[in-house]
Amino acid sequence: MPSLIDIRRRVRSVKNTQQITKAMKMVSAAKLRRAQERALAARPYAKMLQQMLANVAEAASQSGDGETHPLLAVRPEKKILLVVITADGGLAGGFNANLIKLAHRFANDHKSDELTFEAIGRKGRDYFRRRSFRIVGEHIDVFRNVKFETAEKIVQTIIDRYAKAEIDAVYLFVNEFKTVMSSTIAQTRLLPVEVPKSAAPVDYIFEQKPEEILGSLLPRYLNVQIYRALLESAAAYLAARMTAMDAATRNADEVIDKLTLYMNRVRQASITREIIEVVSGAAALE
Amino acid sequence: MDTFQIEVVTPEKLVLDQRAEFAEIPGKDGYIGVLAGHAALLGELGEGALKITAGGQIREITVSGGYVEVRDNHVRVLADKAG
Repeated sequence: MPSLIDIRRRVRSVKNTQQITKAMKMVSAAKLRRAQERALAARPYAKMLQQMLANVAEAASQSGDGETHPLLAVRPEKKILLVVITADGGLAGGFNANLIKLAHRFANDHKSDELTFEAIGRKGRDYFRRRSFRIVGEHIDVFRNVKFETAEKIVQTIIDRYAKAEIDAVYLFVNEFKTVMSSTIAQTRLLPVEVPKSAAPVDYIFEQKPEEILGSLLPRYLNVQIYRALLESAAAYLAARMTAMDAATRNADEVIDKLTLYMNRVRQASITREIIEVVSGAAALE
Repeated sequence: MDTFQIEVVTPEKLVLDQRAEFAEIPGKDGYIGVLAGHAALLGELGEGALKITAGGQIREITVSGGYVEVRDNHVRVLADKAG
């Protein structure tokens, strides 16, 4: 049976851990609010651009000479690029693990194809590098301050490779922020671009040729998608971390309660034993 | 004077969303003047000063790169940079 001192020591240790998890939760909560605001602020632009793309694509397909833009070219998917966005850190429950599992399953399903990886976030990079997948690009430490330029840079290399037919398709794996309590893992095809459908085609006066506008609109659309994915992932990570740390804090409470109960039992037992000893000692003297 | 809604957004944030009487927009191939009731228009944005007249006041924002769309008395300026 552990002594009272041993149990007390354990209680103290759990309490210390609890203080750390509680602090981590608060820090995540504060950072989350900022990340959420930024993700929200990026929405109007993304929404308008998407609408515009739909309208321009519609007009370009009517007036164009039938030539499809290189980013819309559909080829048989033999060489696939996986863009995997994970976090740089852990301690966020299943945040990284679930996403990596989804990407790995995709890789297993496409064993016969030539797969390359664009790893954004340390956790995903480490995982796929350890399993000797081919990582062609890695971007670490981008979440602290997500910039549009970062997304532009990532997209530029992808577009170059796609135009040179080094890759036939690009899939994006990312945690999408839903609410603080939940985020969903999502797999979306980035390339070839799936042009959103126009709700109500508008008869525009075009300042430039529709094909010309479409040509510059498509890369920008990808930029926005990656940028939004980065922001959402950053917010989802902080939310997952906050939730995980909250759970850890509550678990610590439970452990402390259990240990305290056990400690009291042990103390009671030792008191009872001492009384019995005293009483039986006195009885022996009579 | 009739007014229209004008929105200026960048990838990072919504810069402004207000009513205006007149807007002078730096298009890629020259300035575009917009009054209320303008026909639907879509074009690329150049670099320069975006001037918005509202209530006699002229507001100036420097924009560069992006797109401008006019539709249903609503002007949307999607700028790469604005400020």
